[in-house]
Amino acid sequence: MTATAPVGELVRPASVEEVVAELARARREGLGVLPVGSGRHVGRAAGRQRWIALSTERLSGIEIYEPADLTLTAGAGTPMREVSAALAANDQFAPFDPPFVLERSLGGLVADGASGPLWTGYGELRNHVLGLTVVTGDGRVLRLGGRVVKNVAGFDLIKPMTGSRGSLGVIVSVCLRAFPLPAEDRLLVLEGADVASLLDVARGVGTAPVLPVSSVIVGGALLVRLHGAGSTVDSDQRTIERHVGRTFTVPDAPSAGARLARARDAAAAADTVLELSVRPSRLPDLWPSVAEATPSEAVVDTYAGRVRVGFETLDRAAASRLTEAAERLGGAASVVRSSDPDVASAGSRPSDAEELLTGRLRDAFDPDGVLWPARR
Amino acid sequence: MSRPLPGPTVRGLEAIVGPEHVITHRDRLLAYESDGLTAYRVAPRAVVLPATTEEVSKVVELLHGARIEIVPRGAGTGLSGGALPTEDGVVVGTARMNRVLSIDPVDRLATIQPGVVNARLTEATRPHGLYYAPDPSSQSTCTLGGNVAENSGGPHCLKYGVTSRYVTGLTVVLTGGRVVRLGGAGRLAADGLDLVGLFVGSEGCFGIATEIEVRLLPLPAGVRTLLGMFDTMEAAGHAVTAIIGSGLMPAAVEIIDKATIDAVEASVFAAGYPKGVGAALVIEFDGTEAGLDEDADRAEACCFEAGATEVRRATSEEERLALWRGRKKAFGAMGRIAPDLLVQDATVPRTRLPEVLARIAEIAVEYDLTIANVFHAGDGNLHPNILFDRDDADQLERVERASREIMKLCVSVGGTITGEHGVGVDKRGYMDLVHNEVELDMLRRVRSVFDPDGLWNPDKVIPPVASGSPAEAAAEAVSA
Repeated sequence: MTATAPVGELVRPASVEEVVAELARARREGLGVLPVGSGRHVGRAAGRQRWIALSTERLSGIEIYEPADLTLTAGAGTPMREVSAALAANDQFAPFDPPFVLERSLGGLVADGASGPLWTGYGELRNHVLGLTVVTGDGRVLRLGGRVVKNVAGFDLIKPMTGSRGSLGVIVSVCLRAFPLPAEDRLLVLEGADVASLLDVARGVGTAPVLPVSSVIVGGALLVRLHGAGSTVDSDQRTIERHVGRTFTVPDAPSAGARLARARDAAAAADTVLELSVRPSRLPDLWPSVAEATPSEAVVDTYAGRVRVGFETLDRAAASRLTEAAERLGGAASVVRSSDPDVASAGSRPSDAEELLTGRLRDAFDPDGVLWPARR
Repeated sequence: MSRPLPGPTVRGLEAIVGPEHVITHRDRLLAYESDGLTAYRVAPRAVVLPATTEEVSKVVELLHGARIEIVPRGAGTGLSGGALPTEDGVVVGTARMNRVLSIDPVDRLATIQPGVVNARLTEATRPHGLYYAPDPSSQSTCTLGGNVAENSGGPHCLKYGVTSRYVTGLTVVLTGGRVVRLGGAGRLAADGLDLVGLFVGSEGCFGIATEIEVRLLPLPAGVRTLLGMFDTMEAAGHAVTAIIGSGLMPAAVEIIDKATIDAVEASVFAAGYPKGVGAALVIEFDGTEAGLDEDADRAEACCFEAGATEVRRATSEEERLALWRGRKKAFGAMGRIAPDLLVQDATVPRTRLPEVLARIAEIAVEYDLTIANVFHAGDGNLHPNILFDRDDADQLERVERASREIMKLCVSVGGTITGEHGVGVDKRGYMDLVHNEVELDMLRRVRSVFDPDGLWNPDKVIPPVASGSPAEAAAEAVSA
């Protein structure tokens, strides 16, 4: 957490009405409002004015869960651990695995918008959000989407809300699409001498005629995860091994769990965290720049073309070099966390047009600019 | 009657795209006066067919400079009137922008122009072992630009998701002709709001996508198709719930009711359904060969447990197409038994299907109409098709009342008024069933972010401000 202004107050509304009231008070008193979920992953706040942290912690609890419909609606402050447990009791799960997912709140995850490695097999988090209830900066309650998988009744405001990090409104409730747990969840492991050689194998995995649910390089190994019926997974493993000409090992469950946790969380808790992305085929060109910056830890999502790197210390020049390296390859970079404001602003800039549209959208949702602490 | 465009405007457009690509002759404009929803017809003032992003940009700049409305149009297969022209407007069609610009088999991406026909993209990528997943029923004619505008679905979206899941980047032409690039597959780490996701499904109200980057998937190695016969729709509905509830992930689950089966069997498309069948389910699994038979066995068991009288299984591509025939030819067959067909579209939570279908049958009786159901049961996406004769004013009025009744029903069980066809002009009148005035006002605000002057596809998606409403007061306060 890297606020440059002190938190004046922590408020914990327990209802939609109380959220509306807090936002009204903030507008009246000229306060900024920073929505906070679990507090595990708080975006940057900047500025000299006073602001309050609005915790969604008490907007908690599963509201509707209809297993046969594969949909679950819960308050934004509901811990993901609770959501996952409810789903697991019905052999279902939510197919996204960003860092520390179980320690975070449902609303916070949606506000952050990160998908994690399961993106490869299941698509982005935004595709799993079927409905949202949000309170806009000017205190209007919007019910977006619903409880059905297909819904095109009006513009898709769920998409810009997902990943808006509190800059458009306070998410108070989320309806998620659930998926049946696969009969078999298998992790294939290939240890390698270096990342460059593993990237070479990963390219083969990425072009094999089957789609894994995730493919990640971390801790000196390529991890390929398969979901499906037992016989399907057996066959997919053989297909991949034939395609890349290598044999993977299959660790036992505890060891696989530890590896997957590392793939999910690696580098995310470092003092300075950057995310870089390029098209996956350009990863071998990006990697030397990452290695040169000597991160304390790195994790490469080889199907998404995404790299998360953590540093104990990183100066502005080094951060800029990484951003430039990604951009030279047609990619982008963002600084996920840094206590140094110079480093924090070293990520890719949106184009003028994107910035203009983003600014106008923020004005539409938050005309008084109450949600400024969340803005970047 | 639409006014002709001023001479200098026509000449300006001709200078940009060539005289042969500016249509102003009344007879030729007739082809553009409606889309797939033929109940609405308005002739545009002109139709312009640009070939490149630059031409679209110049056309938009010229028309918006003259404050002339633009209605974007793909193949015109939409079923909600989204491409219905306006009397004061010019249609900008993407028919000439039909090139696949690049296919990247390693990153599994393709970049195409908006006029590329959906099925043609899969044909182009098939040699690389790849395909484009969303498959609207009109995929042999509809274009990807139209799919982006409508966020189109299709039978196989049950497993694979709709258009928005596959669009990774867009080049769009916005108000005044400004060309903007949004997103991009290599830019996942970029900060900022999801403008690509917002643009997909904007129904031509934000601008025109002139280059579309999409994600491709590896072609499934195998496919198993089942056709289950049932005495009643209710039994078929229970089979659907059982299949999904068992943890199976079919690629598609489609339902066909008795009225549709009768229409198909009476037509040249006869698919060989047994006499007296009350409902049929088409169930498909795809993916790795190993495991498919197991999945099909389990689904078959679910069907029999729910009371299926017969389950057929395809063992060849030919047999597979035969099992799909009744589903795919349903609309064509119905077209032969009534002069007009209103293809409705709504979504309900899957578990509510049996009661909703029973109530739709009652509505058909109450309004003395034939309503045939053929739809994507797996994701609760209904298509109640109302057969009618547009020259019968009394019947037309009953069609409208029954439609509203069905929409209200779907919303009342937690569903919505459109799952994949979009709002267009047809569903505008139902938007108040799913959105209150505060939400409608937010949709208007978001629209004006992209279209401050109201020149993109006006009179679509959002109903006009109700007089005396808070939104009207707000609008007046802003303009004052």
